[in-house]
Amino acid sequence: MKQETVHADKVQLAYAAILSKATTLSIVFVILGYVVYIFQLLPLSVPIEQVSENWHLRASEFHQNIHAPFGWNALSDFGKGDALSYISILYLGAVTMFCLVAAGFAFLKEKNVIYTVISFVQLLVLIFAATGIISGGH
Amino acid sequence: MVLKNIRDWIVPGVLLMLFMIMPEMACAAETAMVADTVWWVWVLGLFVFTFLLGIVAVIAGVGGGVLYVPIVSSFFPFHIDFVRGTGLLVALAGALSAGAPLLRKGLANLKLALSMSLIGSISSIAGALVGLALPENVIQLSLGLTILGITVIMFLSKNSAYPQIEKPDSLSQVLQIYGIYYDEHLKKEVNWQIHRTPVGLVLFIVIGFMAGMFGLGAGWANVPVFNLVLGAPLRVSVATSVFVLSVNDTAAAWVYLHKGAVLPLIAVPSVAGMMLGTKIGAKLLTKVHTNVVRRVVITLLGVAGLRALLKGLGIWN
Repeated sequence: MKQETVHADKVQLAYAAILSKATTLSIVFVILGYVVYIFQLLPLSVPIEQVSENWHLRASEFHQNIHAPFGWNALSDFGKGDALSYISILYLGAVTMFCLVAAGFAFLKEKNVIYTVISFVQLLVLIFAATGIISGGH
Repeated sequence: MVLKNIRDWIVPGVLLMLFMIMPEMACAAETAMVADTVWWVWVLGLFVFTFLLGIVAVIAGVGGGVLYVPIVSSFFPFHIDFVRGTGLLVALAGALSAGAPLLRKGLANLKLALSMSLIGSISSIAGALVGLALPENVIQLSLGLTILGITVIMFLSKNSAYPQIEKPDSLSQVLQIYGIYYDEHLKKEVNWQIHRTPVGLVLFIVIGFMAGMFGLGAGWANVPVFNLVLGAPLRVSVATSVFVLSVNDTAAAWVYLHKGAVLPLIAVPSVAGMMLGTKIGAKLLTKVHTNVVRRVVITLLGVAGLRALLKGLGIWN
């Protein structure tokens, strides 16, 4: 075990520490959110049967037919079971960003200019995608 | 030897024949089932299916994402938009779960991953946007061709455990891409460096685009590029691929999330089933005949690719 950890530098260990915690948390969120959704422990925006009647349609047609929560709009339906499950998936999509923040600062601490820049530019690319600007986000 | 090879291909061959000679029966059964089946049967079936997929994916040494999209889009009633969105999440969840130990052991190299994923993630966003804008038949057709191509790559590829790099290229030196890890098989430390970095960057643009477009985890492409093109050791290639995949799939997944192409009803049982199956598969890894499983997986992938191709051509809907 000692030999295994020798070759992981501080940045990798910082990234791994955040990754491990954030991923465990995301698995718990995703499962809890789904239990709330599927057992209808909270009211739903759209009945499950209605979702299953339309899941053969293209995503755009699906959302024209029914108003299921998606994108950042899901946050406004926070008290609904389906929105809660969707928000837990949004969190899963954010885990890599948390890790990149840790990596960026760890590289900065090491005065590694190239990888500080690469880490934060990479973070900006993911934030850009997450805002939904390019995908006509909701 | 020849007899052994023939024997190893019997199970995949029978599977292939069953799929090929009964398309009408399969279609008729599918139509009736889709109309009559209650939602929870599909959801439960999806969980069980992805659990089994997770087991065979690990044993066969392939990522779950690349199996998920073609097979689920072929045999479940969900639109391919939702299958692709979920495929990215399945691959992402698997990569995130596997990541921390690989970094701690020093097998994955963050500098190598970040150098390639920066450009790959931008192209995966573009791929996702294009993929969600194209007509369904074009997607099915190109997915079919891609999956058949992957099947050929998996069938023919011969990885190199410890490639010998005479001279690293200057870009890799500027980017500080080199390393050392403890190899449990060799019981010694292995120094490594890479070459042909600019070629690798171009290839990761293509891989990122395809991953975003089809919702595939791209381990099938990342590993050969790291290993055979850049010359990284196989263990480093496999481990680093996980991080490229996690960044690229995160970027593309956000596009699918904002386009409404992710349904929790489908996504969560798929992610949970795949992760559970992957854990069981890892435990079974030393106890089963991996060659036979790998051949079954390659055959399944080939059939699913053919099915997507025929769907795209309007021959088998």
